[in-house]
Amino acid sequence: MKTKSFWKKHENLYFAVSNKKVLLGVFMFVAIILLSLVGPYLTPYDYEEFAGAGYLPPSKDHWFGTTLMGRDVFTRVVYGLRSTLLVGFLAGTIASAIGLVVGFVSGYYSGKAADEGLMMLTNVFMVIPSLAILIILSAYLPYRGIVTQSLIVAATAWPWTARAVRSQTLSLKNQEFVNLSRISGLSTFKILRDDIAANMFSYVFMVYILQFNGTILASVGLEFLGLGPTRGVSLGLVMQNAVNWNALHLGMWWWGLIPGLILTLLIVSLYFINTGLDEVFNPRLREM
Amino acid sequence: MGRYLSKKLAIYLVTFFFAVTLNWLIPRFVPGDPITSLLARFASLEGGKEILQSYFVQTFGLDKPLYAQYIGFWRSLFRGDLGISITRYPAPVMDIIKDAVIYDYIILLPSIVLSWIIGNKLGAVSGVNKKVDNFMMPVFYFLTSSPYFWFALVVSYVFGIVLGIFPTSHAYSATMRPGWNWAFIADFFMHWFMPFLTMFLVQLGGWAIGMRNMIIYETNTNYSKYMESLGASDKLIRNYGFRNGILPQVTGLAISLGTIISGSVLTQVVFSYPGLGYTMVQAIKESDYFLIQGCFLFLILMVLLANFVVDIVYMIIDPRVRHSYSGEV
Amino acid sequence: MKTRVSVLLIVALIVSSSAFALAAERNETLIVGGGPWSPATSWNPLYPSRTSATIGLVYETLFAYNPLTNEHKPWLADSGEWISDTVYEVNLRNGIHWSDGEPLTAVDVVFTYEIARDNELPYTPIWRTLEEVKALSLTKVQFVFNNPSYQEWQIELYSRPIIPKHIWKDIPSDQLMIIANENPVGSGPYKSGVGGADRIVWDRDDNWWGNEVFGQPKPKQIVEMIIYENNVALGMLMQRTLDLSNYFIPGVPSIKDAFGLTTWYDEAPFMLQANTAVLYLNTQRAPLDDAEFRRALAFAVNPEVIVERVFEYMVPTADPTGLFGGWTDYRDAEVVEEYGFYYDPEVAKQMLDEAGYVDADGDGWRDLPDGSAMSFEIIVPAGWTDWMESIRIISEHFRAIGINATPAFPDQSVYENRMFTGNFDMLINNYGSGVSGSPFSYWNWIANHNIHRDQVTEGNFGRYDNQELFDLIFEFNQILPMTEESLAVASEIQKILLQEMPAIPFWLNGMWAQTTSKYWTNWPTENNPVGYPSTWGGYWQFGTIEMLINLEPVQ
Repeated sequence: MKTKSFWKKHENLYFAVSNKKVLLGVFMFVAIILLSLVGPYLTPYDYEEFAGAGYLPPSKDHWFGTTLMGRDVFTRVVYGLRSTLLVGFLAGTIASAIGLVVGFVSGYYSGKAADEGLMMLTNVFMVIPSLAILIILSAYLPYRGIVTQSLIVAATAWPWTARAVRSQTLSLKNQEFVNLSRISGLSTFKILRDDIAANMFSYVFMVYILQFNGTILASVGLEFLGLGPTRGVSLGLVMQNAVNWNALHLGMWWWGLIPGLILTLLIVSLYFINTGLDEVFNPRLREM
Repeated sequence: MGRYLSKKLAIYLVTFFFAVTLNWLIPRFVPGDPITSLLARFASLEGGKEILQSYFVQTFGLDKPLYAQYIGFWRSLFRGDLGISITRYPAPVMDIIKDAVIYDYIILLPSIVLSWIIGNKLGAVSGVNKKVDNFMMPVFYFLTSSPYFWFALVVSYVFGIVLGIFPTSHAYSATMRPGWNWAFIADFFMHWFMPFLTMFLVQLGGWAIGMRNMIIYETNTNYSKYMESLGASDKLIRNYGFRNGILPQVTGLAISLGTIISGSVLTQVVFSYPGLGYTMVQAIKESDYFLIQGCFLFLILMVLLANFVVDIVYMIIDPRVRHSYSGEV
Repeated sequence: MKTRVSVLLIVALIVSSSAFALAAERNETLIVGGGPWSPATSWNPLYPSRTSATIGLVYETLFAYNPLTNEHKPWLADSGEWISDTVYEVNLRNGIHWSDGEPLTAVDVVFTYEIARDNELPYTPIWRTLEEVKALSLTKVQFVFNNPSYQEWQIELYSRPIIPKHIWKDIPSDQLMIIANENPVGSGPYKSGVGGADRIVWDRDDNWWGNEVFGQPKPKQIVEMIIYENNVALGMLMQRTLDLSNYFIPGVPSIKDAFGLTTWYDEAPFMLQANTAVLYLNTQRAPLDDAEFRRALAFAVNPEVIVERVFEYMVPTADPTGLFGGWTDYRDAEVVEEYGFYYDPEVAKQMLDEAGYVDADGDGWRDLPDGSAMSFEIIVPAGWTDWMESIRIISEHFRAIGINATPAFPDQSVYENRMFTGNFDMLINNYGSGVSGSPFSYWNWIANHNIHRDQVTEGNFGRYDNQELFDLIFEFNQILPMTEESLAVASEIQKILLQEMPAIPFWLNGMWAQTTSKYWTNWPTENNPVGYPSTWGGYWQFGTIEMLINLEPVQ
């Protein structure tokens, strides 16, 4: 009896946990996160250490094989995954935050100068290919850490969030309950926070997922070009090393392809969660 | 219609202005003083001193106040003068870019157009046919989730190394001299195929998913249900949905152009395909700052141009914009 | 849409099918890579940054040099010898000529040197010891010295391109190093061809004087590909687009048999040796100014690990003296026995303990004798993947004995700038340690005396200052080679270098060469030494032309 009323109250949650895509997505996502958290404790090696002979294919001792020089690929991947996820998480959060603020403000003040200005800025950032800016910024910075990389990735990732949030805000703003609050004399901030933001929670959550995807892809691209953090190991760097050391030509697919496969699966999982949630929040899509 | 275009143009102009300013700003204000160290490298080259006198002093005027340097930068830009490459000294950056940009177009244009058309068609099929969807949807998701460079590695490994069908690098064989003969065209095609395939497939996934979701959304609308109850065929319903889905997909294309071009930069790096992206990354490795700046500027120009084309397409197919301009940009 | 594209293509083909020149046949073309790193912009033999094959293919030297036998081979010259302590006499070959048909005579040789006397050219400094160059006949030239540098002269003989007087006499003094010299008139077997952004092309000159003397080079055309990444070179080797690659390519030992690649040696070290990679220590920074400390570092590193892991046994470890090839004629085994270093971290630790470099504050790192902390940065250029991995290993080995060292990878221009201005702790370099006809070039680079200035570019980047050593190296240069006296001075130099350790030689970089046999065979190898498989700048005179002559096209 009690459970039933719980599910009734949280109808969306019910649909979320019973949606196959969400479940599969969450399962894959959690598995990969666990890999990055637990992986370093599962491996007896250090990611810089020569753990065995070179050219070893995946085996019991080296789950993802070894590099040309005999480093353990599994160890490098799990440590690299940590770094890449951290950058994606930081950059995604910062970018979402910027996008939300710009989108809210712009949507709330639509038609005013602030909106025009912010939207112009957004459109400009939207048009510029972010990787080009990232490359040129990174190229001139001799030493880059995880935070620096997150910041420059975030700086180019926020515009579409801002635009999406703005149009959501626009449509919500004119709904009756918001007008009601306005008539009853609530402050702008309170309206933004209590009415608009609260009603957009589900939307924001999905935006965040996509943003996380985008920032991870951007940072891995930078790492692959050798423009990631100057110290440590990252997924993109593992693959860059693989290319520099001819891994594929030499038949070491495990070195060049496994890191990217894990990354791709991570992003697929997030897409699944996103699409699944979309179905949850838009019942019209659900019937399929 | 006029207002729509002029607003778009204004955005592009501001973007261009912004990009040029960024281009000027970054090397001057980052630590390590790259401009000075670059000038020192030029000074040690034969004939470098003369170039220092003519180009750099005018363009950089390092002794002048900042605003004057900034104006000088714009002035040489309008003369089409982007400086001299230090690694390919004494070749002007402009000449290098002219040679490179063709390779960008030859990959980007067909891959964007074909993936958009075919992706939307496949997505529509997947949207109405549950059996197809169950099989295709994971594939689409996989494609669109793949980082371009990783997918390029997969393509290169499978088709270039394991099967050995396509060459893994460069735009044409070392033995070839560019010319309009079958041998060269065949060779060029073989080198072009894998970078094209990479760009094509990764983009395809995104369009297919977009259209699929749109169709599902549309087929569940009241008007579709109404049509269905009237006994309209699946195909007809799909066609309606497809037509409604096309517009957002064109907008989607405009939004994705930046990502696509970023993807092509990485793809070129994997295949050493000598477009702007590859040239730029090489220039970074060798700190050839003028070449970096030139490539950056042309990548931006390319995106702006592509956006503009998409705008015009959008205008042509959207009756609301065609007749009057209203609503959001 | 599709039909329109294909129509366009067909039209384009019809329009254009007539107008284009075909490349030379593939089986007459030799495609190589590894020499040039940028497109050709200058073919001027006087300009140091000319495209590198200009000397060797177009311009020739009096002698060639065979690094395998350490012998000079007469080239433009028929013979040459010291006829007194101060006079070197050269007899030119009869009937040699320039590519425009003009005869090449003693007049041109004299002109080649006098132009450097009368103008500021890179080799002008030779006139500090040279007094006069005179033509006694059309084929006899005498070089008269006041105080000859015998060792350097051995290198000069195969390094200086002879230029035609009838072309260069009309070029104004201020243009000598500036002109691009696009259609060079030389004496060599090739002429400059039509290249491009990614290649440099050389066309065979069928009227080369050497055809009758040495034989004709087989390739009608040589295409030097400009390749920036070694994985691209490997891909081209696998597809047989590249006939000869002079890149460092990881993995060659493991795939060479499967993919039909040939290297000089069939077994390790696979490659010939090209230069010594040394670790320069900045002797102007404490504690690197302490010879004991520097020596301890030499004992701390196990270069075997670098050889095994990074180079897959494609390079050997270096001798403690850094000498290899013909230079070892001067190696003093007793000195090495007594002062040489070897890998033994315990010895290194003991030396550091005795010299007072102990961990004073208990943080796990050794400190200076006064108790203050010390740490070091080792640099190599970003993207030089083999060196990057090598300094990672070196840092690890230093850390293992408690010395806080970290690797860093600035871009090449920054690396060079820091090297030349002395703004570094430690770095790997090999710019001046290349194989040559005299160990003088190595010593004069390791311990160059030109260190009291802002930019130190001729070696001794750690600015090690020891006048006694500088004098010895100078003296060595001015004694007749391989005499008892010169061997004695050489021993003394080796002893000081080992005691003082201004730079630590760790391994010998390879003369990277991998060849494929789809279009050309009879490549030079250990068992078939018919030339020298290198297209690097400055190496063409080492026997690469002989390689071209001995190649056999596959029918």
